[in-house]
Amino acid sequence: MTDELGALTTIFTEFYYWITVVLMFLIHVGFCMYEVGASRYKHHQHTLMKNTMLIPLVTVTWFLFGWWIYWAFPTGPGLAPSIMNESAALITDESAFSAKWYVPTSDLMAVNLGDHISGVFWAAFLLFSWTAASIVSGAVIERITTFAFGILAIAIGSVFWTIDAAWGWHFDGWMLKILGYHDAYASGVIHAVAGGFALGILAVLGPRIGKFTSSGEPRNIGPRNPWLVTVGLFLIYTGFWGFYAACNIPIFDLGPEYGMEGITYFTATNIYVTPTTLSGITFNFLMSLSGGLLAGYVISKGDPFWTYSSGLAGIICASAGNDLYHPIQSMIIGMIGVVIAYKMHYWVERKFKIDDAVGAVAVHGYAGFVGLIICGFVLNGYPSSGYSVGAMWDGTTYASINPLGMFIGAIIMFFVLGMLPGYIIAKILHGMGKLRIPREVELAGLDYEIMEAAKDDEKSVASATR
Amino acid sequence: MATVTNWIDHLNKPAEEVAGAIYPGAGSSEGLLVIIGFIIWIGWHVIAARQESEKLEKLARKRHGPNDWKSNVTDG
Repeated sequence: MTDELGALTTIFTEFYYWITVVLMFLIHVGFCMYEVGASRYKHHQHTLMKNTMLIPLVTVTWFLFGWWIYWAFPTGPGLAPSIMNESAALITDESAFSAKWYVPTSDLMAVNLGDHISGVFWAAFLLFSWTAASIVSGAVIERITTFAFGILAIAIGSVFWTIDAAWGWHFDGWMLKILGYHDAYASGVIHAVAGGFALGILAVLGPRIGKFTSSGEPRNIGPRNPWLVTVGLFLIYTGFWGFYAACNIPIFDLGPEYGMEGITYFTATNIYVTPTTLSGITFNFLMSLSGGLLAGYVISKGDPFWTYSSGLAGIICASAGNDLYHPIQSMIIGMIGVVIAYKMHYWVERKFKIDDAVGAVAVHGYAGFVGLIICGFVLNGYPSSGYSVGAMWDGTTYASINPLGMFIGAIIMFFVLGMLPGYIIAKILHGMGKLRIPREVELAGLDYEIMEAAKDDEKSVASATR
Repeated sequence: MATVTNWIDHLNKPAEEVAGAIYPGAGSSEGLLVIIGFIIWIGWHVIAARQESEKLEKLARKRHGPNDWKSNVTDG
């Protein structure tokens, strides 16, 4: 870096993404608190440990292959040619944003004085990966083995969400070009896919012992520590600020980027390199949070668990278009998402005997799915990308945002890349006898021996006189 | 192993030589490190799965009742 302005821009961007990573760490802290608060006393420590261990597992695999997948797969492959090299194959050539640079043996995947961005950008995406895996973690508490969860966390955190990000988030993604897919803050790319994945697992895993009566009526196994759940959700809200910021490019000169000669226009952009502002998304983040809380309070009749979760669901539902919505639109969309997610949760629970312990499929999956569909109508006609915008895919231009494309996109996120892989992998683990803990352990409590040892320690200390 | 032994000499090189990897073993050790990374990752699953199975089987054999854990609650 020898030019002052260039150095300042680079170091600002490096620091910007680094700060988002720190903020997003709070999402994981929040998920851990939330899950422990929602689990029963006899399972607390294993619940916490399971969610903690996804951090190293997803991080290591994200380094080894997850990040490479994101850069290699935007073309499908085979569905739409890249705007970088005009090939529909995997992007592994010499082009600037090729996956070639992100194999784990690349010298850009380490301390390199020629690259100040890759590591922080890698980490920002990694924190999205943790979030995806952590969404799944809450749904399956108190009966999944740590081994099975580790495999499933890697599958969603380092493979399937990465594929969907390559398809629907990457500036060269085929879903943008063909479908006009738009998902600025990841209603589908993170939330619908993780919610769908969790639902696929739950269909195989089965409910906790005691969740349903012999006649099939659901019993409530409510949160054991509502205060911990509350603080956990507030931390997730806090971390979401970092999540939103990480989905933006903080400063970009769109004039030369769009090929407009002699035009200079510096702005923040979304991940699709179309303009937005931190100011605008701040309006929308808070208004969609508010819409979710308002709707959640009313529909759950003031139930604290659902009201706090609904704040999150409100943000998630509006996230697909929160780069462009009016704040009142964001609020209303958040409210609609919450009502649908809440109703769907109880309908699916009764109809299919699905025990989603923390409502993760509803808050993330259903709200995200609905958010994508609504975005297709409200943002109908907007460009899905800053590059070569046309009316519909003709091989050289990007499709505009449209309801049909967004609906197909929602199906791909929730079912094709979410529920289906979750179901298949869970089936395989179940077939190996590795998915679920033994019935006797579930009844006794996963923490039984830890608690017993703690009691023995306490006894020996209490009887000591010196 | 050291890629840089003198920072002043290093930064005085042409810009294209300065802008590069500076970790130990740059350009020669990456393949081996990644293989080691894969072995550690897979190995962890194998060891952790074995430990977990043993623990679960041992606890399952004791057949504790659903409320037995309450006798283990400590009061600090």
